[in-house]
Order: sequence, then C-alpha cells, then structure tokens
Amino acid sequence: MRYNEKELQALSRQPAEMAAELGMRGPKKGSGESGPGRDTGSGVPRRLVKLVVNFLFYFRTDEAEPVGALLLERCKVTREEPGTFSISFVEDPERKYHFECSSEEQCQEWMEALRRASYEFMRRSLIFYRNEIRKVTGKDPLEQFGISEEARFQLSGLQA
Amino acid sequence: MAPCEPGVPRAELCGQTRGLCPPPRSPAVPVGAMKLNERSVAHYALSDSPADHMGFLRTWGSPGTPPTPSGTGRRCWFVLKGNLLFSFESRKGRAPLSLVVLEGCTVELAEAPVPEEFAFAICFDAPGVHPHLLAAEGPVAQEAWVKALSRASFGYMRLVVRELESQLQDARQSLALQHHSSWKPAASRCKPQARNNRSVVLENGHPLSKDCSPVGLVEEAGSRSAGLGLAERELQSPASLLLGRGQSPVSPETSDFSTLHDWYGQEIMKLQQRWRQRAQGSQPECEEQDKP
Repeated sequence: MRYNEKELQALSRQPAEMAAELGMRGPKKGSGESGPGRDTGSGVPRRLVKLVVNFLFYFRTDEAEPVGALLLERCKVTREEPGTFSISFVEDPERKYHFECSSEEQCQEWMEALRRASYEFMRRSLIFYRNEIRKVTGKDPLEQFGISEEARFQLSGLQA
Repeated sequence: MAPCEPGVPRAELCGQTRGLCPPPRSPAVPVGAMKLNERSVAHYALSDSPADHMGFLRTWGSPGTPPTPSGTGRRCWFVLKGNLLFSFESRKGRAPLSLVVLEGCTVELAEAPVPEEFAFAICFDAPGVHPHLLAAEGPVAQEAWVKALSRASFGYMRLVVRELESQLQDARQSLALQHHSSWKPAASRCKPQARNNRSVVLENGHPLSKDCSPVGLVEEAGSRSAGLGLAERELQSPASLLLGRGQSPVSPETSDFSTLHDWYGQEIMKLQQRWRQRAQGSQPECEEQDKP
C-alpha cells in the first residue's frame, strides 16, 4: 500500500492530544511488522509517544521524525500488568504493542484517551447526540449544516 | 486560490494497464523509513465500517512521488472512511493500493491534463508533499467528492460533535425550563456583571457565595433541575443570565462556565433542602429525565 510518509510526518508535528515518554515494546519480530527496535542496553526502549487525531506516533527520544505510527481505528486497548497497557487490532489480537507508564494514573489517562481516539468513536458520539436532540426538540440538528444526508452520520453507521 | 497545475510528465508513469501494475513502495523511500501498522490499516479499509464516500476517480502518479499528470490517468476505485482516502484497483480489490491521510489539507478544483475532465486536487501545506490530482466522472461527482473530502478531517468531526453536545445541553435545559410555567422574564432583571466578577446576583437578591462545592457537572444540571420541582420557580434561570450577555449558557467554552458551575452547585443544594422539607409534607412534583 502506497502512502506519503511526508504526510504522516507533517501530521506528527501537529498539536497532540496527549504526549509522554513511555516504555514501548512492539510485537515479537518474525511476525511481520517489527516493533520499535532494540536499543542498546537492557530494558524496555523509551519512546516519545504522541497522540494526534486517530494516529499514535512514536519517536526515539532524541529524534525529530517519528520511528512509526499506529492508526487507531478498530484498536483494542487492554490493561496489562500494573501501569502497563497494550494496543492490539481486531485482525490479530495477539500482536500487541505494550506501553509502560510511570504511574497508574498516567496509564488510566492514556487508556481513556486512546479509546476515544478514533473517527469511529466520534461517529458514534455524533449519532447519539443527533438522536437525543431529535428526541428532545423534534428537529434534526444536522440540517443547519447541510450534512444530514451524509453516510457517516446515519444510524446504520452504528452497526459496524 | 489558483488551481493546482500539472507537473512534468515522467517516463515511468503508470498507465492504464489492467491491474498488472503491482503497488510497490516508492523507490525513493529509504531503508529504515517510518513504520505504519499497514496490515491493520488495510484491514480497516476492507472492513464493513461505514464508508463516507466512494466511487471511481482517475488518478495520476502515486502518493509520495511528484505529480506527473499526463494522459487520462488511471481509473481506480476510491473509498473515503473518516479522514482516510483509500484507492483500490477495482470495487472488489482485496488490498488497498494507496492511502491519503486527509489532515492539514485543502481540496481545490484543478486543471486536468486532458480538457473537460472534472478534476480536483488535495493540497497539503507541508513541505515536500505534492498535491494529489484526481478527476471525477462528471460535475455532480466532482462536487460531491470535493465536499466530502473537505469535511473529512478529524478536526471537523470533532467540531460537529462538540456543537451537538452543546446543543443537546441547551435543548435539555430549555425542556427543563418549559416545565415551570412561572419563570420570570430573563434579561431585564439581570444585572450586568464584570467578567472577572464571579458572584452572580440572583433575582431574589441572594449573592452567590463560594463556600459551597458544586454538585455534579453542568451537563447534568438540566436533568437535575427538572427533577427538583416547583421550588425552582423562585429562581432566575441561569441560562437566561448568560443569554442576557449573549453567551451560550452551557458550553464549556463559555467564559462564565465556572460562574454557572458555581451557581448550579449553590442552588442545587438550596433546592434540595427545600425539596426535602416539602417531601415531609406532600409529594413533590418530580420528573424523570433521560440521563446522558
């Protein structure tokens, strides 16, 4: 699949919803994609992890360009050991990207943010609000924007 | 803005072969290039998650390479999901050929190399990112694509969600107010307040004090106040206090949000006291509201 890295690099420079230095381990090598790579020394590599729209970028702490990016649509965020969570994807739930936080609170904060960081989540929220407003006012709030017919705002979108 | 202009033709432009052209990584990408969870991205592209727009478009060149529009381009099946634009060799394509992330871009009408094409371009503000030139099959399709792509960003969606969230709060608030027929008129009784002055003078003359902690969040105030019964009629509506100043009463962006927050906290506690007193006498009027 072709894509323009520079587009993603530019996106990684946008203001982030969340950014922190976390320990990061990718899925085991040999299963296709590799993780952030081994650094010298033991221990989990530290990465600057940055959440921008529905992408999670990760940087080596002294580099300006990201090592990689994860699209967060259809991801699953799971609590692992205390202070640690993982991200995996529906097509291969065992391939996990692990993130080590410095505290439980930080871990909780990240998990919450990541669960909401998808276009699909926003779509569901929007459909919910639209229906609630219709129930209360009898009017469709999207008509004023001229977007009431758009596919992404239809109730059928909730089934996916 | 001037439409984007076609670039210089190059020899290796992928022509109109019937899907024999494999989608290799551009040779310009160096080893150790940025990683992406491509398999998951492709899976998402093919999944049954709703597509926001789709159709055949002609495309020139490929993402990551300079634009090389000449000839009529290559006809591919494009699918827009959220802020991601995928292309496929055909409607039944089993792997996306390309991905464009629609953030930080604008969509403009453009000139195609062949006249009378219905062309448009996705233009990025970032250095080294060339516009993606595309052409629809007719003016209706062209307009629909330009509209869809212009509104595809995460930020746009977020704005709409926030706006609706705010409207829902307003709607619930209005509904709560409608339940009490003896609301006094609003703005004429509202004393103007300096922005920095956090005390709110109520219609019955009781100033707001700071020694009460707010109860709950403003989003729930609509439903709570509806449940508190007749005692509310004695109070001026907080919504009208702020409407009198031309601000939305319950948007978190309102500068008086904390004022409103404090107001609710104070008044909800007072109302609860009165409600409890009445409950000892008679059955108060209460209504259930949908909680968010």
